[in-house]
Amino acid sequence: MKKAIQVSTEELAFQLAPSETLLEGLERTGHQVEYQCRSGYCGSCRVTLHSGSVHYETTPLAHLNKNEILPCCCRPLEPIEVSIGLKVKAKKSA
Amino acid sequence: MKYSTFSLADNDQLKEPMFFGRPVNVARYDQQKYPIFEKLIEKQLSFFWRPEEVDVSQDRSDYRNLPEHEKHIFISNLKYQTLLDSIQGRSPNVAFLPLVSIPELETWIETWSFSETIHSRSYTHIIRNIVNDPAVVFDDIMRNQHIIERATDISKHYDDLIQYTLLYTKLGAGTHTVNGETHQVNLFELKRKLYLCMMSVNVLEAIRFYVSFACSFAFAERRLMEGNAKIIRLIARDEALHLTGTQHIINIMQEGKDDPEMAEVARSCREESIEIFRHAAQQEKEWAEYLFRDGSMIGLNKGILDQYIEYITNHRMDAVGLEPIFEKATQNPIPWINAWLVSDNVQVAPQEVEVSSYLVGQIDSEISADDLGDFEL
Repeated sequence: MKKAIQVSTEELAFQLAPSETLLEGLERTGHQVEYQCRSGYCGSCRVTLHSGSVHYETTPLAHLNKNEILPCCCRPLEPIEVSIGLKVKAKKSA
Repeated sequence: MKYSTFSLADNDQLKEPMFFGRPVNVARYDQQKYPIFEKLIEKQLSFFWRPEEVDVSQDRSDYRNLPEHEKHIFISNLKYQTLLDSIQGRSPNVAFLPLVSIPELETWIETWSFSETIHSRSYTHIIRNIVNDPAVVFDDIMRNQHIIERATDISKHYDDLIQYTLLYTKLGAGTHTVNGETHQVNLFELKRKLYLCMMSVNVLEAIRFYVSFACSFAFAERRLMEGNAKIIRLIARDEALHLTGTQHIINIMQEGKDDPEMAEVARSCREESIEIFRHAAQQEKEWAEYLFRDGSMIGLNKGILDQYIEYITNHRMDAVGLEPIFEKATQNPIPWINAWLVSDNVQVAPQEVEVSSYLVGQIDSEISADDLGDFEL
């Protein structure tokens, strides 16, 4: 059984539910994350991974530099730390 | 480097660089130096669509009821997109194919360019439906200075590369005088022209299309011109894939993986690449001004569109290893656009719902012992 995994961003930390993608988790918690295809070929959502590691069910088509991951289709294997901030609006209400 | 449509050199294609090696002979895909291009081809083929599949009949009455300034926005964007795809439907073939040395990249370029011709055909489909005489729209493309200004900037890098390739292949490196004009020709400069051309194509697909996309989706948010929006979603899906293609090519060049000199070329082009982005962003802002000259549309105005242009410019620069140039543009001012850009579940004709990412003829034939691990007898 998959467990929730701790995700730390530039501004907060949250538990990623087993049923959601990292992209969905980042959206749920009000992060400024870009997206388009949500299936690994456009690369819009790419973010930098500072620590931890992720796994892909199938290798995504989008170009990734070392340390970059695609939240739409990766699965964290352990607690991870990514470089992404909150939306301005979310910041105000927080 | 002499071009031949079927090079007789018995070469190992896996040892050729992407560009400027020996011309491709056998079109074989059983082995690939860069499997990513093969995957892009497969994905693009699975995306195949025909404009006629999309019902645009409701758009005709929607268009008739639009106020004049919104008609101007809608039609101008279609003209601009027609221009962009006229260029993209042919230029990658003409400019890049004579320089390519590996079959998977050659076929990716052809597949990519072909899909742009579908986009061109879809504009005819849309325009034919909303106006009585499509010629009125098409003829204006060549007579409208706002569009022609852009055409020159977009085709310039292609034309430069094509002309220089002709000189290099015909005359080789050296100083040559042709028809009274003196040209300094060398391979490094040719590689620079290829790199800058690829960067300019990247900008075209990454930024230039998105102003029109934003307007089309702003209409669709009001449930207007929805047939058009469905087509634009299909186009946006293709463009996202093309963009991934050029990003891969550019990044492989920057790393100098198969041609170490390419890394040096990329470094020498850094400032010019940034300028290509800056210039395109500026031009798109001017285009936004032209679009909204008689009034904004609900949900979108020049200010918002300008912020969006800056935001995506930064985002796209980052993807090809360049520092963002617009410091303040860190937030997407029209986040709703992304919901439209997700192209799954694009409903085409009302009677048939088609999931657009459905892969035609794609079967994963690899089975490992693990796949059967849960089986019990």
